[in-house]
Amino acid sequence: MVSKDLLSECRSLRVWPAMLLLGVVVAMMFAMQADLPPQQLRQIVGGLLWLTIFFAGTLALDRSFAAEREDGCWEGLLSYPVSPTCVYLAKLTVNVVALAALECVLIPLFAILTDLPLLAHPGPIIIVAILGNLGIAAVGTLLSAVASTGKQSSYLLPLLVLPMVIPLVLGAAEATRLAVEHDFGPSWWRWVELLGAFAIIFVTASIALFEFAVEE
Amino acid sequence: MTDPRIAIEVRRVTKRFGRRLVLDEIDLEVAAGESIVLTGSNGAGKTTLLRAMAALIRPNSGDILWFGEKTSGQHESRRLIGMVAHENRLYPHLTLRENLVFAARMCDVVHPQHCADSLLETVGLLAHGDRTPPVLSKGMRQRLSLARALIHDPPILLLDEPFEGLDADAEQWLSGLLQDLRQQGRTLCFVLHDEAKTRLLADRVLHLHQGRLLQVAGQAAVAHVA
Amino acid sequence: MSQTAEKHFFNDYLWHAVAAGMVTTAIAAIFLLAPMEETMGIAQRIVYLHVSVAWMGLAAFVLMAITSGMYLFRRDLAWDHWSRAALEIGWLCCSLTLATGSLWAHAAWNTWWTWDPRLTTAFVLWAMYSAALVLRSGVEDPHRRARMGAIVAIVGMLDVPLVIMATRWFRGIHPKSPHMEPTMRVVLLISVVCFTLFFTMLLLLRRSQLHIADMLEDLQAQAEA
Repeated sequence: MVSKDLLSECRSLRVWPAMLLLGVVVAMMFAMQADLPPQQLRQIVGGLLWLTIFFAGTLALDRSFAAEREDGCWEGLLSYPVSPTCVYLAKLTVNVVALAALECVLIPLFAILTDLPLLAHPGPIIIVAILGNLGIAAVGTLLSAVASTGKQSSYLLPLLVLPMVIPLVLGAAEATRLAVEHDFGPSWWRWVELLGAFAIIFVTASIALFEFAVEE
Repeated sequence: MTDPRIAIEVRRVTKRFGRRLVLDEIDLEVAAGESIVLTGSNGAGKTTLLRAMAALIRPNSGDILWFGEKTSGQHESRRLIGMVAHENRLYPHLTLRENLVFAARMCDVVHPQHCADSLLETVGLLAHGDRTPPVLSKGMRQRLSLARALIHDPPILLLDEPFEGLDADAEQWLSGLLQDLRQQGRTLCFVLHDEAKTRLLADRVLHLHQGRLLQVAGQAAVAHVA
Repeated sequence: MSQTAEKHFFNDYLWHAVAAGMVTTAIAAIFLLAPMEETMGIAQRIVYLHVSVAWMGLAAFVLMAITSGMYLFRRDLAWDHWSRAALEIGWLCCSLTLATGSLWAHAAWNTWWTWDPRLTTAFVLWAMYSAALVLRSGVEDPHRRARMGAIVAIVGMLDVPLVIMATRWFRGIHPKSPHMEPTMRVVLLISVVCFTLFFTMLLLLRRSQLHIADMLEDLQAQAEA
């Protein structure tokens, strides 16, 4: 199922280019507005990066169920002998991959634009990115299924997801800032733990709730 | 408790969409190997009943049983059902073969590639296996839908207006195929409008009116109704 | 039938009177009983209202999540009426919290808004309430609407502790347990109790209104059929 979604996206090239493009444009806009001395820029680069990832990533989250709604594919999916949990995990995986692809473009781009050592310590940044992706995708996949049942899916989704992921965006932004400042002390770990807790709580809760989101 | 004789049992099923009562305490038994046709005017609840029988919608009250087992919460038993729906349920960006292989994988079929190819042959689309659904005609997509529904060899087949949009040749071909499936002892449930087709395919005709089953006609009465 | 109607009528009027009495008592206590605070003057009196609605805004969220869970468990729209009433009253209280808090902050800190943990949490709560309202407005089928509202409420409830944790790790300036004169404490208590009862009243009224509206629509649908 994961391979089906990825293959389908590769064929149609519908969402990912738009998502990456939006990410790049937003990044450029932020960089233009935030033309600050490095000392101040360092304070806000994490927040800008993660907000950009969130808004561009919403496009992919939204598509994960909107695409199934076309031609009744969604019903077809439900009629297979697989549990909603499997469907959820497959969609989650695709969304995590989509966000990772986005980050592969955005993190180097931010590093170039802001001239900050974002990639000096790739390990910690990758950990933060993976946990952040998992958290955003966990909540986003569930709420995308919720939003797609209404009539106003695409503009409703960011409205629903953003308040929910505020702790996550905050945590990821802070962890990124500390990583840029080479500070991997207890406060860095605390934020990483928060990201981990967020991911675990919402993957678990979403698995439990997904069944209710998909029934007719 | 399984019961091999009753393929589908509908027990006092009620379904509302919002305030509208779509199915009103429907009771129905379909014997294994039987072929039934649901008729009725638009909005009578035919498609909803068929979808309820496929366990795609959760009734507000009542139960659906397949071979004597309740369907709610049972994902595994879904492999008993194959369905040709109104919409074709095909992914527009995958080729026909990929669509079928995906369906086969989802149903845990042993040799998905092989199975997809043999079904493409059955429905006469082997030559078009590498094209995508949007470039095909409506009739070809309908054939592929049927192949998709048959991929896991289900004992029960639900078909929602399978003849819609087909030309005369395709119609003839499809009714031949459906007759074959009937001969194989599969349980078939149709939603149909066409009287001649109904006469050809039905052991029993059920008429839905405003969410109620009004008329249950046996084989003898089929000819009369039609 | 007419007897129940009379009972309803009487109860409603009794409760309306109690509610009005509560608000009057609270306002009287705030403006007549409470002493004038030395540095902030009259603006300090906002605190009594602010604390009351803030507590109510949070309590309503918890109530909404619990009744949502009950709905998913029982599939009875009566639980959804509770959940929806809690959503609307909670949104109202949360909006009032932000407004009164902002007014107070302007007087006390000379700024309308800061990113203090509690302010941030209140804002996130308000955003979740608002999103849930918008979501509900877009779904027509009552059961589906109830399901989707319930999912958002439960996810939101799980989110609140994380929001509080995350925002706390930035240092805050919100007064935690400020020094208060005994009279002030009494007034605060009166205010919290009275406003809690008042908003609970509103919530109960809204719930029974939703319930009655639902029954009425059922009857209408039956009459048409």
